[in-house]
Amino acid sequence: MMSFTIFPAIDLRGGKCVRLLQGDYNKETVYGDSPFAVAESFVKEGADWIHMVDLDGAKEGVRVNHQHVLKVAKELKVKVQVGGGIRTEKDVYEYLENGISRVILGSSAVSNRSFVEKMLAEYGGRIAIGIDAKNGYVSTEGWLNTSEVKAVDLGKELAKSGAETFIFTDIATDGMLSGPNVKAIVEMAKATGKTVIASGGVSSIDDLKKLKQYEQDGVKGAIVGKALYTKKFSLRDAIHEVNGL
Amino acid sequence: MIGVIDYGMGNLYSVSKALERMNAEYFVSSDLNELEKATAYILPGVGAFKDAMAILTETKTDKFLKDEVQKGKALLGICLGMQLLFNESEEHGWTEGLGFLNGQVKRIPGENVKVPHMGWNKLAFQRDHPLITGLQEDYVYFVHSYYAVVNDPDVVVANASYGVTVPAIVGSGNVFGCQFHPEKSGKLGLAILKNYLTFVSRM
Repeated sequence: MMSFTIFPAIDLRGGKCVRLLQGDYNKETVYGDSPFAVAESFVKEGADWIHMVDLDGAKEGVRVNHQHVLKVAKELKVKVQVGGGIRTEKDVYEYLENGISRVILGSSAVSNRSFVEKMLAEYGGRIAIGIDAKNGYVSTEGWLNTSEVKAVDLGKELAKSGAETFIFTDIATDGMLSGPNVKAIVEMAKATGKTVIASGGVSSIDDLKKLKQYEQDGVKGAIVGKALYTKKFSLRDAIHEVNGL
Repeated sequence: MIGVIDYGMGNLYSVSKALERMNAEYFVSSDLNELEKATAYILPGVGAFKDAMAILTETKTDKFLKDEVQKGKALLGICLGMQLLFNESEEHGWTEGLGFLNGQVKRIPGENVKVPHMGWNKLAFQRDHPLITGLQEDYVYFVHSYYAVVNDPDVVVANASYGVTVPAIVGSGNVFGCQFHPEKSGKLGLAILKNYLTFVSRM
């Protein structure tokens, strides 16, 4: 059975569950002191997966909030994908051997291509490539920099190196509840021929249904953050409605 | 024909590349009907013992492997794949393993050494065995945080030292294991894989 995966997002900063607006570290809202409690509530609502991002890690280039991530993977019955601050094989390996299902390599995909290719060769489907784009170009280093690499070009090249899953974030829409950039997401899926998980801008169950229409093209999931925290809809309803249960 | 078992715990690429380099006949599959056609198996794996066993049990691959080994087919576990050959692991609470070899998988005590252990260590051969026939002791590449504590010292073919004595190659009958990554261990690693292929071809 085809199913469209909804990934509730937990972004971590200073051990707390926060949301940033358009990736801006100065535009932070704290949604919970305990990321574990937030994760637990998502699992109760039926989440198969949780998407976790170590924002401090992304900014500093080393893992900072990993203990919070590992606790969720260890103690809850849910798959966890994690990104942020993962720069060495040791970082990747420690997450994978401690119960993390998928490790997201993001900005290093641009700045350290050989590392990413090596990790794809070694760990294959357990690596997801996070591509954050602004106006079609890749953004790096916790979104503080924009590169001159086109997002679809990077996607195509990494697909050749063995990437199976891309997490595509459109920065212009993230945290804005303005609807996802469906066109750009589908373009990425078609260009790579791989699985693309959409991230950014989802504000309604209709947005999710809109994305699900492109499941055949490879758009197989979406990350939902702010819409859940601001109670635009519940995760339980979204999971049920989107998959027609 | 070697069947490389794909159970979603990686790392198939480097193992496949090594087999290709040796012109070995192999295929990668998760389908037990397909895998049954193989004459011998390689069980790779990176990750948590508990997660791996959960998948092997859910997909009935655990029972499949026990049946195939019972029939006399050879099985080589690599890294986590080797650890899964033992009775149980203490990783995140006790988890039962495949039970081909007698012993427990425990965390490397990190008092004097860094964990995970990632790097090259020298093998010390303990006895004659088909996997090391004609080979000299040399360095191989390890990536692990856990190691096997064997109940029966006879299963140990080679050790390495990393704070504790780490069984690096184990073997009992048609079941073999390498704690290090032979596919990433240069000439000696490939020679060990080659020995496995030779052993299989003579079965």
